Amino acid sequence: MQAHASSPVGFAPLLACLGLLALWEAAARIVGISGLPPAYDALRELPLILSDAEALLNIAASLRRMLLGFVLALLFAIPAGLCMGRSARVAAFFNPLLMIIYPVPKAALMPIIMLWLGIGDASKTIVISLGVSLPVIYHSYQGARGVEEKLIWSAAAMGMQKSARLWRIVLPAALPQIFVGIRTGLVLALITMVTSEMIARQTGVGSILFNALDMAQYASVYAMIVIVGVLGFVLDLCIEMLRAKLVQWAEPAHEIAVGTS
Amino acid sequence: MILIEGLTKSFEPSRRQRHLALGDLSLSVGEGEFVSILGPSGCGKSTLLYVVGGFVPPSQGQVLVNGKVVTGPGPDRGPVFQEFALFPWKTVLGNVMYGLVEQGVAKPRAEQKARALIALVHLEGYEDFYPKQLSGGMKQRVAIARTLAYEPKILLMDEPFGALDAHTRTGLQRELLEIWERDRKTVLFVTHSVEEAVFLSDRVIVLTRSPGRLKASIAIDLPRPRRRAELLVDPRYQTLVVEIERLMDTQG
Repeated sequence: MQAHASSPVGFAPLLACLGLLALWEAAARIVGISGLPPAYDALRELPLILSDAEALLNIAASLRRMLLGFVLALLFAIPAGLCMGRSARVAAFFNPLLMIIYPVPKAALMPIIMLWLGIGDASKTIVISLGVSLPVIYHSYQGARGVEEKLIWSAAAMGMQKSARLWRIVLPAALPQIFVGIRTGLVLALITMVTSEMIARQTGVGSILFNALDMAQYASVYAMIVIVGVLGFVLDLCIEMLRAKLVQWAEPAHEIAVGTS
Repeated sequence: MILIEGLTKSFEPSRRQRHLALGDLSLSVGEGEFVSILGPSGCGKSTLLYVVGGFVPPSQGQVLVNGKVVTGPGPDRGPVFQEFALFPWKTVLGNVMYGLVEQGVAKPRAEQKARALIALVHLEGYEDFYPKQLSGGMKQRVAIARTLAYEPKILLMDEPFGALDAHTRTGLQRELLEIWERDRKTVLFVTHSVEEAVFLSDRVIVLTRSPGRLKASIAIDLPRPRRRAELLVDPRYQTLVVEIERLMDTQG
């Protein structure tokens, strides 16, 4: 892995970012409208936002809700998906329900949940949880369904009790699939986080963003979008590192494939 | 010893269909006997093994292992599958240790025993490899070591060498015989290769086309230890192979 950093591949993402910024800068100068400030103006806002205590508190509040919603969703969605994958009856019951809820933008449920729980943290955390849950349930379900029956039989022959199989065989076997769901879930968490704060503007990244928009502070709007993007990138990197550590066994064998019978 | 009494197994792929895999099969396998089961594909020979393993319940009849009715899987019957069924998230060592730790053996003791078994199947140096990094033959060696580790009295082998190339296959047959001749476990071995069945077994069972019923039981009284090179030129071996091939060719 270390070797890759010094290879040309290591610079490619950096080049892509710089290219995007150049494109943005050029487009802004050619179009010349206030709704599209030059990249430089937006980036100049970044240190101002990041040194402002209130802005940082807002970003922290967003992150806290997002992570809480994310973790709550995983705690519920992974076991739910695994149970569905191992029991045709459970799957038959929940599947239609999921298929209906999956395409609904979870932020659209925000007004209803706000009626019940107010505009505070609880509503937003729940909406984020919902957003994360569905892809995680779906991929855990697919992962559990794909577990080879004979893996479970092998464990059963060793004396493993039925109750332990879900956690000790189905969960690890489905883990590569589950991580696909977790990654999708993370993106949805970020989206739902911002939109929930747009609907219930109290604190958070989304409320800063849309307040700036209302006040026509377009450079700040773009700066906040960049911050959300970077947040997403860093969080995704964390998930990717965790995945690499936990399911390294599932990686293609590549050069390590070994000879003889 | 294994006693199979009036075993019937049917599947219902849909509400309208009913497929009879095994029809009223009775069979007994003695302690330390190596018995192969042959039959046309779809005759239910694997199903028979799964029922003895307790993985699949019988529709009618019962299986007794050492006098006790089989109601589920247990460490007295160790399966080895054609698909290897190794735990992909565990290393070779982790796989071989798994059953031992499951049986409550302390980790250091389990590891010591697992290492010895890995050596027995000639995989020293591969302890820390994941299954994905191994060839088919190596995977099956790990699977055999993993099953031998928890010392089942009976080995249930479901076409264990069916997915391997001819060269690897004969190599593993020889290794299996060497291991078996050491402690003479009871083995129920499903295969579709007549040569393999005759080479390995004390007795060959031939099942009829679906639903599988007992067609013939042929004693293989070739001397042991058996060497492949010697057997191939042994007229008794050749006669047995031809006889069984003929049995398999006749309908019914």
